[in-house]
Amino acid sequence: MAQSKPAIFDEQLLRDLVGGLSLPGTPAALSVGIVGSATSAPQFPAHCLKACLNGDPTTATTQGCPFLIRALQNEAATDALQGGRCPKGFRAAVEQTLIGGLPAVLITLADDGAVEPSTAIGFDLLTQLDTATRLIRHVGGLVEENAGFAEEALQNYEQLNLLFDLIPRIAQVNDGRAIERLLLRRIARLLMIPGVCLVASDGARRWYESDGAAAGATGAGTDEGGVASIVHETRATRQVHVATVDDWQVLAGPLVRLDEQVDVVVAARQTDAEPFTSGDLMLLESVLAFGGQIISNAELQERLRDMSMQVARALVAAIDKKDHYTSGHSERVGLLTRITAEQLGIPGTEIQIMEWAGLLHDIGKIGIPEEILCKPGKLTPEEFDVIKKHPGMGYEILKPIASFELVVDGVLYHHEHPDGSGYPKGLTRDEIPMVARIIHVVDTFDALTSTRSYRQAFTMEKASEIIRAESGQRIDADVADAFFQAFDNYRCSEPEAFATAFLEHREAAHVES
Amino acid sequence: MSRILVAEDDPHILRLISMWLKRQGHDVQEARNGLSARDLLMAEPVDVLVSDVNMPGMDGLELIEAVAGEGCVQRGIVVLTNRWDHVSIRDQLAEWDVHVLPKPFSPSRLSELVESLTAAGTAESQTEA
Repeated sequence: MAQSKPAIFDEQLLRDLVGGLSLPGTPAALSVGIVGSATSAPQFPAHCLKACLNGDPTTATTQGCPFLIRALQNEAATDALQGGRCPKGFRAAVEQTLIGGLPAVLITLADDGAVEPSTAIGFDLLTQLDTATRLIRHVGGLVEENAGFAEEALQNYEQLNLLFDLIPRIAQVNDGRAIERLLLRRIARLLMIPGVCLVASDGARRWYESDGAAAGATGAGTDEGGVASIVHETRATRQVHVATVDDWQVLAGPLVRLDEQVDVVVAARQTDAEPFTSGDLMLLESVLAFGGQIISNAELQERLRDMSMQVARALVAAIDKKDHYTSGHSERVGLLTRITAEQLGIPGTEIQIMEWAGLLHDIGKIGIPEEILCKPGKLTPEEFDVIKKHPGMGYEILKPIASFELVVDGVLYHHEHPDGSGYPKGLTRDEIPMVARIIHVVDTFDALTSTRSYRQAFTMEKASEIIRAESGQRIDADVADAFFQAFDNYRCSEPEAFATAFLEHREAAHVES
Repeated sequence: MSRILVAEDDPHILRLISMWLKRQGHDVQEARNGLSARDLLMAEPVDVLVSDVNMPGMDGLELIEAVAGEGCVQRGIVVLTNRWDHVSIRDQLAEWDVHVLPKPFSPSRLSELVESLTAAGTAESQTEA
């Protein structure tokens, strides 16, 4: 599983064990060595180390002791001994045997004296050593296995936590692209790679970096030709696939979006890194499946909002066009309402609603007869009474629509004045909802600066004068200030949009640059 | 590199936590239940105590009550538990500034926590709540 397993049972251990093998009471007089085991370096008898090797076992081959050399070659070196003595004169006994199941040579050396260097002693100790080493190897194996399980458990714990954490994060986000980002960055982290690449259905590519610390090479083999094939397969079958591309292993999964468009998420690791496992595939598949749903929902909501907005715009444009002179008026009032609300520091979600209200404020005019609406001269009091019904009519039209609950106030009260002289109810400043106060100001401005059936357009400067003169009475003073500021900002910051909206609809009006 | 005592009655989980923390470079001691943990802590203080809650004999809460005021744990206490009421455990231990991680715990979160506890300046007694 891991690339370098820890050495549980190793040379040092064997060395320590053998080093401990000396006859109690006479440690110096007798020494034991093991040479030629495949699992460990030779352990030369202490006599050899002292007398010939200078304490350095690596010189064994160069010291020319035929006895040692043959032992190193796994041969019973008995015939290298002359009369039971090694070249240095120590009494010796040698035997081939098995250590831990592998062939080795047992050497027993002794000084002259009481102790006989019989291999029987060595064997005795060695049998114990053999048993011990087999046992150690077995335990070592178990420990490694255990460590392996522990490793996997830790990894699973980490992944679970990453998944548990992802879901609530996504729930707080409404924007399709933002969800995509959260999702893909977390997938890269779960797969333990630096990042993933999203290949969209239109061929566009977006790279997302892991949201954890990830080491390793980036920009995984996403050259055109290389992954094109696996991307195609994945898109066509809507299933995860794995392939080798140059020296990368590539994992690809489908992300199904709105209208059955299929994006492909591509993950890669170097071929000599951990291979992608079935667990990785299941992870990618399931996370992309629920992620795709969530993104599609968010995008559907966005689309529906846009559609509603477009329908409303088309409707008010149609109403505005009944009177040639008011064409585009509602669009402009919507825009001016928005920028004024922004200037006043109103929170974003409310601004959206206010913009709707501005757009729809004159919808009640659909109920006003054209003769009155488009009359070229001054209105009679009776005709004016009819006109005064349009805010109420707009209110009646919009009231049944639940999502416009906050919009209807703007529509109903957009002709109220701070001094109570407005209609339909004659409310005073504090009673008039903010949205209605804003619409009233911008509606007045736009009406003044447009040519109407009954008069020419005023210049913007003249219109501003008129409005300021009415501040506090028919016009809310604070809203007027905010409006003028917002209007100037808009004129400077978006001159093209400004020109399109505000200059082109005029006819022969004297306008400042 | 800090001294940590891990108290956990499940030997496999104990091994897992121990292995993980050793790999982060810490000096880790193990205890299989609350009583032996307490004895070890009384004998020699540690920097961080990582403890389970449900243990035979003396449980994690009792262990913490017994040692927290005694200067046996010098930097911080982390409780790892699979009890569903892990949030109320945090409240019960509020006076001791204990961090509670529900199981399955995030290994990376555990190491971050231990790091931040041990990095916090010079050793101060855990009783300064």
